[in-house]
Amino acid sequence: MDTKKKSKEHGLYRIVNAIGYAFGAGAVGGSVYHFVRGAYNSPIGARYVGGTQAASMNAPRLGGTFAVFGGLLSTFDYALVRIRKKEDPWNSIVAGAATGGVLSIRKGVVAASTSAVMFGFFLAVLNPPFGSK
Amino acid sequence: MAINRSSDHESDENTRLYHPYQNYQVPIKSQYLYKLPTSPEFLFTEESLKQRRSWGENLTFYTGTGYLAGSVAGASAGIFSGIKSFENGDTTKLKINRILNSSGQAGRTWGNRVGIVGLIYAGIESGVVAVTDKDDVWTSVVAGLGTGAVFRAARGVRSAAVAGAFGGIAAGAVVAGKQVFKRYAHI
Repeated sequence: MDTKKKSKEHGLYRIVNAIGYAFGAGAVGGSVYHFVRGAYNSPIGARYVGGTQAASMNAPRLGGTFAVFGGLLSTFDYALVRIRKKEDPWNSIVAGAATGGVLSIRKGVVAASTSAVMFGFFLAVLNPPFGSK
Repeated sequence: MAINRSSDHESDENTRLYHPYQNYQVPIKSQYLYKLPTSPEFLFTEESLKQRRSWGENLTFYTGTGYLAGSVAGASAGIFSGIKSFENGDTTKLKINRILNSSGQAGRTWGNRVGIVGLIYAGIESGVVAVTDKDDVWTSVVAGLGTGAVFRAARGVRSAAVAGAFGGIAAGAVVAGKQVFKRYAHI
């Protein structure tokens, strides 16, 4: 199983899988969360309709956001692996920073830089580069 | 641990290298013990004949492919409808804004739709394969039928039935087309 997984992780297959995973998690998780929240905020007798309306309005937005983030992060990570020919936590950190910067570029250079630093810090917390291994 | 560099195993007359199989006539040579195969090892030969993704890989692959295909197709269609909606007196900024609005809207809408269809199809197909333990045209037809029915279930029984029939026919056509393509294209 390791050999099969290894052959698939180095390729564009990885990016497609990342997008599918992110979109599925965002859409399904968002549906459940917003259905519960909509049902809670609806009067008795209209809870089911309230839940379905809230889920159908909010879950697609969440799925799309997750898919874009997952796709960009995976693409940058893959590009860094090909450029540096190395797999380490710095790839994820730089990919996270690049993703944050790209997603905020419309708000201006200052906002993009701030977002890049924050996303990079977030990825550094998830994948500590100087951790105990 | 300290390494005694002065001692050489070959020249030391009081010691010899330990050979665990010295007193046994095993046919296994030492080279076979360290050259492991890189292909996955299967307990049964039938498992090695199957060529399909696991259910998790199936789920993420279909969802990702569907979302990407839907987004790209929707964005492309949105670009053309944005160009078509230009008005007299539009500045360059307004034209660019129309194109971006149309492509973004259509891309997100179609990406969500096709992604959800891929998610449902992958789940049902993996379920059918697990239950029936076979993978052929009818598996895809059943998965397509279930996908259409689930996708339109909220719009009523009649709409779900029509969508299910359409989904089954579409899945069967895709699988049949793929088999014809493989037969004549040799890819």
